[in-house]
Amino acid sequence: MTDIRDYDETFSEPTARATTAVTGGSPEQPGTVGGRVRRLIRNILISIPLIGLVVWTLTPFLVTLSVSFKDRAEVFADPGLIPSSPGLAAYSEVLTSQSFITSFLNSLIVGVGTTLLTIAIGVPAAYAFARFNFRGRHLLLLFTLLPRLVPSLGIMVPIYRLAVAVGALDSRLTLIVVYTGMLLPLAVWLMVGFFQQIPREIEEAANVDGASLWGRLRYIVAPLAAPSMIMIGVLAFREAWNEFTLVLVLTSTPGKRTLPYELYLMQGIEGIANFPGEAAFTLLTVLPFVLIYTRVEKYVVAGLISGSGK
Amino acid sequence: MLYGVWQSLFRRETLASDPEFVGFLNYTEMFSSDSFWHSFNRTAIFVFGSLIVGTTLGLLFAFALFRVVGRLRFLRAVTVAPYIISNVAAAVMFRILFNSQFGVLNEFLSWFGIDGPSWLADQGLAMLVVIFTQVWTDLPLTILLLLGGLMTIDKSYLDASLVDGATGWTRARHITIPLLAPQILISTVWLSYSTLTGLGVVLALTGGGPLRATQTMAMEMYTVAFRNLEFNQALAIATFILVLNALLTLGYVAIGRRYEYEQ
Repeated sequence: MTDIRDYDETFSEPTARATTAVTGGSPEQPGTVGGRVRRLIRNILISIPLIGLVVWTLTPFLVTLSVSFKDRAEVFADPGLIPSSPGLAAYSEVLTSQSFITSFLNSLIVGVGTTLLTIAIGVPAAYAFARFNFRGRHLLLLFTLLPRLVPSLGIMVPIYRLAVAVGALDSRLTLIVVYTGMLLPLAVWLMVGFFQQIPREIEEAANVDGASLWGRLRYIVAPLAAPSMIMIGVLAFREAWNEFTLVLVLTSTPGKRTLPYELYLMQGIEGIANFPGEAAFTLLTVLPFVLIYTRVEKYVVAGLISGSGK
Repeated sequence: MLYGVWQSLFRRETLASDPEFVGFLNYTEMFSSDSFWHSFNRTAIFVFGSLIVGTTLGLLFAFALFRVVGRLRFLRAVTVAPYIISNVAAAVMFRILFNSQFGVLNEFLSWFGIDGPSWLADQGLAMLVVIFTQVWTDLPLTILLLLGGLMTIDKSYLDASLVDGATGWTRARHITIPLLAPQILISTVWLSYSTLTGLGVVLALTGGGPLRATQTMAMEMYTVAFRNLEFNQALAIATFILVLNALLTLGYVAIGRRYEYEQ
């Protein structure tokens, strides 16, 4: 918790300046009645879009939550937001269904695999780019960025045909490799930036003290780079957990699908839509990542900002 | 294997050349087909609709958040929430929200005596729902980009404008938004890229329907490739989308440049 509070404090400093710039320079004096009323009106005017933002973002979640606690008939009979007789039938139905359990496990395996592989390849590569001078370093670094410029739409067909050609359809490993390939450019570029921020002198001092390359990595570089590694891990896990269009073309047998694919199928398979089931499935898909997300939110926000340059 | 995956990323265009060389046949066929131009028009509505809705909401929310940034952790968490949701989950949520029989939106409208339409079955409204869902999933990044831009603006500009007597809307219109132009440009480029190549939301929400009303080019590419199994034709569409994306980006940058020069 403490680290998050630190984060807030670092952010509140420019805010304080911003607030003084906005309010301190205003023509009304703070004690007067007119000033107070104006300030009140201004605060209300500011909070309207903020409330709008909360409503805009949370309504879909709340509505889905509400539907997930109803039973199938109640969904149509009682459109109110608060269910009259809340029940967990939809959840137990989803949690006991084979499709949810297998796809959940698949998502977990693919997610963790992608995270580990991205870090295992991305971090050493970035370290090499940041610390060692070798021929064609800049060219190679630019080359790394190329896949980032191609949207997944552009690689759907080529990757499908490649997977068919090498017989790699319906495999979790294929998904892991594909997602890692998509994440690596971002991971390498971000990590190069972080490694370059670590002063070379710290490592040189350790070198003088007799530390080996491995020792330097283990005791100096890794702890310093840990936050950014977490950030990259979260980004990689998110990609693997949520990706939909590539898993759609790369898998076909029921045992190999991930959660988004299974959820997509759920909408189509049943004749009469099972809305509580879908809602419960959706929330159970979202929940694990929300749990991770609340712990590492600051890394996600930081990663989101730095990942935007794609 | 990884090398193979990477190679396929690079060699997108060359894969389009079949063992049997057909030259530009795929492209000429594509440009003369009605369904392609239909999807082109749908995409134009989708992309520009999302841009207008997304940029407007993004600016509004970013301005509002700027006043409280750092103070409310809850708001920051809320802002980013849609980012951690998969496209399919977002589609299911919006399908429930916009459901004509029990959706909360129609219930809300009925309070005002409005008989809510069946959103996803109507050809015009379905596109609207798709646009809103797409914007919902993309908005966190837009907001954060614009917010980041707002935080870097030199306060002396705002102070100077205060001295000159500028207030509220005038200041936003003539000072803040022009200074924010680079970030608006980036978010426009990104939003346009995301909608132009976005398949997940459309596929999971409407699958291109009703009656192909939401058949965007990305959807058309998917249909041609994985329903009709005409991979080479699909690659022609994909290539066209990428070229279009590059042209749009150049266009935005050109407009952004001109806007900056005017100041």
